[in-house]
Amino acid sequence: KPASPNVLPGAVEDTRNMAATLSGEFADLAQIKKQLISVIAQCKERGLVHSVKASELAFSLPSLPLDEVPPALPLTEEDALDLDALCLAKSYFDLKEYDRAAYFLRGCRSQKAYFLYMYSRYLSGEKKKDDETVDSLGPLEKGQVRNEALRELRVELSKKHSAGELDGFALYLYGVVLRKLDLLKEAVNIFVAATHALPLHWGAWLELCNLITNTEMLKSLSLPDCWVRDFFMAHVYTELQMIKEALQKYQSLTEAGLTKSTYIISQIAVAYHNIRDIDQALGLFNELREQDPFRIENMDTFSNLLYVRSMKPELSYLAHNLVEIDKYRVETCCVIGNYYSLRSQHEKAALYFQRALKLNPRCLGAWTLMGHEYMEMKNTSAAIQAYRHAIEVNKRDYRAWYGLGQTYEILKMPFYSLYYYRKAHQLRPNDSRMLVALGECYEKLSQQIEAKKCYWRAYSVGDVERMALLKLAKLHEQLNESDDAAQCYIIYIQDIFSCGEQLEHAEVSTALRYLGQYYFKNKLYDEASLCAQRCCDYNDAREEGKALLRQISAVREQGESSSTDLSLPIVFNPLSNTTTPVRRVAPLDLSSVTP
Amino acid sequence: MASVHESLYFNPMISNGVVQANIFGIKDWVTPYKIALLALLHEMSTTKPMALLDRRRLNKLILPLQQGPDLTFEQLLSTVEECCAPMVNAVKLRLFLMADRELQDMEHFFAILPNAFSDSEAYKTSVVGLYMRQMLLAYNKLSFSQVYKLYKTLQQYCRQGQRPPRDFSTLAAEDMELTSNDDPGADPMDGEELDAGSLHQSDLGCDEARGPLSQKQAEYFLARQAYLLKNDENKAMRPATLQEELNNILKFNPDFAEAHYLSYLNSVRVQDLYISTHSLLHYFDRLILCGGEGKSNGDEGYGRSLRYAVLNLATLHCRFGHYQQADLALQEAIRIAQEANDHVCLQHCLSWLYTLEQMKGSDSVTLTEDSVKMAAHFCLPYLASLGVQSLVQQGATQGIPANRLLDALRGTDVVHWKQSLSELVEISLAQTASIWRLYGKSTMAQQQVQLLLGMASLESVNYGVQQNNTEPFAIALCHLAELHADQGLYGAVGDIIKHLKQQFPSHTQHSKLWMLCDLKIQFEKAMNSGKFHLAEPHVTAIGALDSMEGLYRKAQLLRALNQMSEASKILQQVQQLGVKKRNTEMIIRVMLATAELHWDSSGFSASLPLLLQALTLTHTHNLQSLESETILHLAFTQLMLGVPEQALALVQAVLESVLAHGALLKKGRALLLMARCQAVLATSAPEELRLGKVEMAVQTLAEAAVFFTQLGCKPRLRDVYYLQARLYHTLGNVQERNKCALLFRLLNQELPPGSSIAATPL
Repeated sequence: KPASPNVLPGAVEDTRNMAATLSGEFADLAQIKKQLISVIAQCKERGLVHSVKASELAFSLPSLPLDEVPPALPLTEEDALDLDALCLAKSYFDLKEYDRAAYFLRGCRSQKAYFLYMYSRYLSGEKKKDDETVDSLGPLEKGQVRNEALRELRVELSKKHSAGELDGFALYLYGVVLRKLDLLKEAVNIFVAATHALPLHWGAWLELCNLITNTEMLKSLSLPDCWVRDFFMAHVYTELQMIKEALQKYQSLTEAGLTKSTYIISQIAVAYHNIRDIDQALGLFNELREQDPFRIENMDTFSNLLYVRSMKPELSYLAHNLVEIDKYRVETCCVIGNYYSLRSQHEKAALYFQRALKLNPRCLGAWTLMGHEYMEMKNTSAAIQAYRHAIEVNKRDYRAWYGLGQTYEILKMPFYSLYYYRKAHQLRPNDSRMLVALGECYEKLSQQIEAKKCYWRAYSVGDVERMALLKLAKLHEQLNESDDAAQCYIIYIQDIFSCGEQLEHAEVSTALRYLGQYYFKNKLYDEASLCAQRCCDYNDAREEGKALLRQISAVREQGESSSTDLSLPIVFNPLSNTTTPVRRVAPLDLSSVTP
Repeated sequence: MASVHESLYFNPMISNGVVQANIFGIKDWVTPYKIALLALLHEMSTTKPMALLDRRRLNKLILPLQQGPDLTFEQLLSTVEECCAPMVNAVKLRLFLMADRELQDMEHFFAILPNAFSDSEAYKTSVVGLYMRQMLLAYNKLSFSQVYKLYKTLQQYCRQGQRPPRDFSTLAAEDMELTSNDDPGADPMDGEELDAGSLHQSDLGCDEARGPLSQKQAEYFLARQAYLLKNDENKAMRPATLQEELNNILKFNPDFAEAHYLSYLNSVRVQDLYISTHSLLHYFDRLILCGGEGKSNGDEGYGRSLRYAVLNLATLHCRFGHYQQADLALQEAIRIAQEANDHVCLQHCLSWLYTLEQMKGSDSVTLTEDSVKMAAHFCLPYLASLGVQSLVQQGATQGIPANRLLDALRGTDVVHWKQSLSELVEISLAQTASIWRLYGKSTMAQQQVQLLLGMASLESVNYGVQQNNTEPFAIALCHLAELHADQGLYGAVGDIIKHLKQQFPSHTQHSKLWMLCDLKIQFEKAMNSGKFHLAEPHVTAIGALDSMEGLYRKAQLLRALNQMSEASKILQQVQQLGVKKRNTEMIIRVMLATAELHWDSSGFSASLPLLLQALTLTHTHNLQSLESETILHLAFTQLMLGVPEQALALVQAVLESVLAHGALLKKGRALLLMARCQAVLATSAPEELRLGKVEMAVQTLAEAAVFFTQLGCKPRLRDVYYLQARLYHTLGNVQERNKCALLFRLLNQELPPGSSIAATPL
């Protein structure tokens, strides 16, 4: 039985280790199922919709025999007293008549009724706030519309809290109220208390997750030791872009017997999407759609993947399918937006993203995607607006920062865009795209040293687009650093061929052409002729290859012997398969590769 | 001197109104305040018989009320009360009639509103008429729920006016009571409860007090704070509070771009690069949106703000001393401005370019000249005279004839007064003072400083602040302090420094100026009175503010402590630095100091070429103060080389200018030197004239002693007494001799033993 992770304030623990281990309670899945069933019932009684996640999980577990199904919680004296009022109020609550529900609950004493009473008041306030936003009195008032009930709720709840009368659900509500009042520190404390009081309530965990901004903060929290915690940690890791740890955690969760859970599958798929492992993610999403064909959640992510892969028919099918299910969902609108974008109908795409934003103005992805669409339409000011909105919703949205950088780069302001790219790079230090963008900016500003550093770093962190080395090589070429340039071209060629797939923009011919000339200049005629021959395989370099071959044979006829200077880098050495870049690398045997 | 130019990089764009343009296409909305104002107007037009004086006062009141920010009900009433007391009750009554009854009363008010104006003197197209119609239109557009909300806020507005002002804690406490009435059992005095309660109270109270500002109020707030930041930083809010306030504004209205700009200014104030960059870029991102939406300037406005965005970024990096970054940004700004053919922006770029070059320490005269020419061509007086001032500054250090410099300044002054560019007038005055001081004309410098300090602010709108927080003022006050220190008026110096400390607290941008000035004065004072151990910490402090000056002072101190070889090494270093930075003044001072070092090793002939070289330099650069100093040095060398006649002639030649413009110390030294020459000459004079000559030398010494006593310069005073005693001895005046000898002995005991007699050659 593995030791359960126990994170105390100040305890420094390797997060990898934490990710791998699971709470011991996963040994008894039936117990978990029982707990789930009971908490689902409790949530339902209180009108909490988060229980859907628990139901999903419960569904994925094997069903229990009749005698093991947990009975409903026994009613207390107070519950019995309030039963009628609660029943009535719950009906009104379900009909979204919150004020009415609250009115009939005002005198109730039981915990359940008290929660529902407060919750209805809270929801009523939220509903009124939303309605008010539509007809406010002026532009400044737009932001001033507040949920008026919040402050009253806070005062009442804080009294009860200091008297210790709040149960897990009420604590959760208290936390929500605090968060809405922007009292984040207090809110975190309350949510932690809520998870301790009722660890099975996923809503509290979820709220807590939204408030955690970094690993240090995560480590400093003392969380209850329960199996839900593992789900929570995985979720937080995903949010904090610690994808590896998240994947590990989810992996061990599935291994523990939760293979059928659609929730876990979707989360893993999203995680793969975040690290741009497109094939894995696509496979998982397809599996998800098989298991849960009417699912709308996460389908926008799926559509992003399809978009990246330019899978038009699949995307079109997905869009049609979702429209049939529910066309007034944010996800649906995003999918349709992506679909139009892929068909280069950017106006329509922007329109659909706008619709998504009307449905939910805090939908981050839609703002960024809309920015991209405006960029495509060359409407830079609108693009900047969209990206800025995205950043307002979430400061950590690296795509929006990156988009802003791109916009300014298009406006020919490379220095200006540096700031934005740097921001994006800060958020994703290991993403080669930002580094390449930074490098390009530096190159435009004639800051070659910085540019070189950026490109090399981009290559070192694993270049996604495989452009960094080529750019680095060209930069060296410009600076007349032929050795370094040749080195880069060599690694570039190895890289292109070792990854197997053909990339559209691959400029192997450029590399070969340069290498041919380089060897020729250094009198390594064998290597030069080999490169020249390879050149002939490409249309755009064929003539030059032939010319070089002629030159080589001319020189050889004059009897000049090949140089034996071995300090030069040679492409055609036996392969030593090192994936980590070393400056003087022993490269790949090209002769076995047929382009 | 170099610091004069620093004021140029306080963003010239703010004062030029390039960025100032506030694009708010916001229509009017009905607010309770506006209803109250309408009620006032209504009453005014319906109340026919009214005292003429009252009516006039009220009429004068209307415009500021209409255009100003929203006031509270109380404020409004008290303002009206000042003009016409009976009107207050009428307005109050009308508003309470509306607020205390039903919604219908407000509707009724708006229904009868136009009738009152139909037959009065308020025409439809008059300011009042337009305002009234605008309000009616805005009111009629409101939906039912909006009207209801307006009514609610009106009720609140009036009720706030009714209630006596209370502090927030009671308000919050009442709030608590209001909301906690369903739980009467809880004892509010319970210890734990109280703890939690008080915490909440303060939070809630805070919430209540702040509230969101209205659009106009926010604009007013920003404009005022920005103005204060520029002109009188001390009166502006503390950086932390201001930032909090800005965050509050932004929370309620994230589109309020100007707040970002103010946040940029504010964080520059506290030298926070991170936030200032962030705010600046955010501001321009937002501004770009506004420009894009405005139809009048369309794409043009959008591109324009882009150019200024990069330019501002360049200035930001300039401010923080990131010259390479600034250079890159500036080049980018120039490129896109060229592409767009925006000459005005290009001009701004050019003026920044030469400023940047100057800050980097390279020659930028040609650039500046070009800039001035182009600015004049495009009719940009601000930039043109800024360029001229910069040229004058460079010219002064490079030895351009004084008449040309002052002519140029006078020429720009005419422009400044015509265009009322008060900022530049101030710079010009401070610059003139600096130039006069550089030339060694202390009286003229003092006059210019007084002129600047006595000048009333030219700003047409000032919020009751005197514009005395800008760099020219700091420079002028520093000059004043140094001039007073020269005359030994240390009490006055202390007062001036104290004032500077108040006006420019140490965290502000220009505080370095007075810090350096203060330290220099302290250093000189300690050195003069021979307390070298006191001078030592000042050297380190000066070095932190100005490395070259610090090194120079260190050399001086080392020389005083008899560590000649170290002093010489450091002087060589300073010499190189001075050549690199083209600081002629410093080069000459180093030459003089090196000559003094030669004296100490009795290499009097070796010091001659140095001194002659220095003399040529002072001639070419019109540095009269240094020139007389050099001549005094030459005279001393000659005296030591045994040509006292020549020495005396030299001293007598410069004595006039020294006595007219020089510092006390210099006057004393010149007289002491003259007395020495006289004494030496007396020995070789024929017998019958000798006594008369000695007598003269004694008199000169007495005069010198007066200056040294005023300054408290004890080592030199000791020398004077020594010489006097010797001379009296020659004269046979025993009584006087003994007196001087006693004085000498007293001083000699007081002073550190290391410095032996006649250690101070000059």
